[in-house]
Amino acid sequence: MALSSLNLRYGPGMVRTGAPPRLQGLATGSSSLDEITGCQGLPRGRISRLCGSAASGAFDLGLALGAEVSRSAAVAVVDFTREMDPGNFEAYGGELDNCWLVRPRCPEEGWAAARALAKVGVALCLLVAEDWSRLTPTAAPAALLTALAEGDCAGLLLGGRSIPAALKERICLELECWRLDWTLAHGDVCGLRLGTQVSRSHLGAPGASCRLQLNFPRPYQRRVGLEELGDLTASEELEEEPLQLVGASGQ
Amino acid sequence: MSQVSSRSRLACFTFPHLALVLAWRLHPELTGEPVLVGGEGRGGRQVVVAASPAAWARGVRPAQDWARAELLCPLAVRLMVDREAVAELRREARLALASCSPLVEWGDDASAYVDLAGSDPLRPEESSRAAHCGRTLQEALGVTPSVGVGPSRFSAWAAAQLAAPGRVRSVPEGKAAEFLAPWPVTGLPIPPAVAERLLQFGLRTCGDCASITMVDLQRQFGPDGILLHRLCRGLDSARIDPWQEQPPCGVRRVLAGGVEDSESLRFGAAELARGLAQELSRLRRAAGRIRLVLRGEEESRSPSRTGRQVWWGEVAPPTPMALADDLMGPLLSLFSRAHPLTPVTVVELDAFDLVAPPVSQIGLWQGRAADREVVQRAVNRLHDRFGGGLVWRIEVRPGHPGDVPEERLVWSSS
Repeated sequence: MALSSLNLRYGPGMVRTGAPPRLQGLATGSSSLDEITGCQGLPRGRISRLCGSAASGAFDLGLALGAEVSRSAAVAVVDFTREMDPGNFEAYGGELDNCWLVRPRCPEEGWAAARALAKVGVALCLLVAEDWSRLTPTAAPAALLTALAEGDCAGLLLGGRSIPAALKERICLELECWRLDWTLAHGDVCGLRLGTQVSRSHLGAPGASCRLQLNFPRPYQRRVGLEELGDLTASEELEEEPLQLVGASGQ
Repeated sequence: MSQVSSRSRLACFTFPHLALVLAWRLHPELTGEPVLVGGEGRGGRQVVVAASPAAWARGVRPAQDWARAELLCPLAVRLMVDREAVAELRREARLALASCSPLVEWGDDASAYVDLAGSDPLRPEESSRAAHCGRTLQEALGVTPSVGVGPSRFSAWAAAQLAAPGRVRSVPEGKAAEFLAPWPVTGLPIPPAVAERLLQFGLRTCGDCASITMVDLQRQFGPDGILLHRLCRGLDSARIDPWQEQPPCGVRRVLAGGVEDSESLRFGAAELARGLAQELSRLRRAAGRIRLVLRGEEESRSPSRTGRQVWWGEVAPPTPMALADDLMGPLLSLFSRAHPLTPVTVVELDAFDLVAPPVSQIGLWQGRAADREVVQRAVNRLHDRFGGGLVWRIEVRPGHPGDVPEERLVWSSS
């Protein structure tokens, strides 16, 4: 009765139950990737991250996801590095007409642009950087998260080995990528098979994984971008390149 | 799918004249009333273009002198034909029939022929294909046609005359002579003088004429005798002169020299799919159905009685197709079914049942779509705050002049 009177006095929604709202996912175009995230895609209103070692395919996977989203919705790409080639985005089948590329001259500009574009409702905000610790003001991640939630926009971080604590604690979903093998054709590297695992999640238990085939943009490719490969088996999970012991004598 | 061969089957659709259909559309109260639609004939003389069934019953016929028609049916409502409106309605009806078959011949604005030969996975029965065409035509015209199916033009037309509106009357295969036996000779497309002489000989029906040999008929009537012989046995021409206008969305490729091997034709599938995908992209549409038409050599080089050797096939996947990748699978399946009788000289790929392109999976989960103008306003505010050059729109420069992004792409920050 007290809750009813409060809602009557201050409007519906004044008092709510504490159950977390069910998150909607922004579908990635790959059903196996959607399944492992726990919300059928990249969580809307939250920050996700794709990480992996050099040549793991994480960066290209992020570009391919952005390109897939841009075919039907607006995408903002905040390029803190100012070196990203948007031609690659287009080569992965992205719709440049749906893409707004931000090249900030200082970190504050980039975060402000990301917040502004997320608030007006772009479907995906792709943030690209090499070193997040130098670029992240303390209050920026929380403000970005608010803007993402307000605009129902999915945020995706790409690149950068070190993540500051202020940003790391607000990452809802972290996907780790590693290369399984290269795909060769016509004497050229035309793609790679990569494994993807949920290494951190606020939506469910981490550990779910899948395999993906990423086809690089090549003139002879029949299909560019992501392809399904199914679940990752335990044996393939161990196929990661072993450490090379240089100079050690065999004993 | 259809393959024109010596065993041709034609469907004939008869319906009220288009001028009359338009008159009924404008004045629905005239349905069932005697109506004369007039127009300018040869030499500037005013003639009857179309007459309603009630006027027809009083002896009015198309091309009759207007004054004579007024005398025959003095109470008829008289209207003048709108040629432009008739031409537009004719175009709509042709397009509707062309969506059912590539081999469509338009008659005298009161009849049309469609080639039905071959098989269609969706409509295996010949009558169901004819009925489908009839329904399509009915939707375009707003009146119900009568449908006749037969091995030749005349037998199909005769079957259509006997069929009630909305019904399909089919001449059984190999039994055209029996079907036409009771047809009066006065209803044959022969000169009136020949019909008159036939009546004088006591030959009143096609069955009577069919009992006489072709040599005897030719001796009496000359070339008309041969025509008479063929008409009475259902052996007249099955050739139709197809309407050649391209469907609204399609690609056509002329091959340098005839190609006989269907495997070789398959190499062109990717180029055809890309071409059609570009057309669909230009129209911002997706195809619910595609049709592959392989046209061959002219009749003079082929034994068939049809004008051209044509193979065509259709496929309608469960989801509309807009991209070249989507089109490739169905197109290859069509090529695998293709069996052209003669070397192929022209390949056409047409799209039908055009709908809005399907959104990809992402669209199903889209919560709040960003309006482009709203985003642009936000970008303008950012530029006001931080200065220009912060948010960029990118376009690919035509011709790809270089590898450096600044050269290869057109950057704009307005």
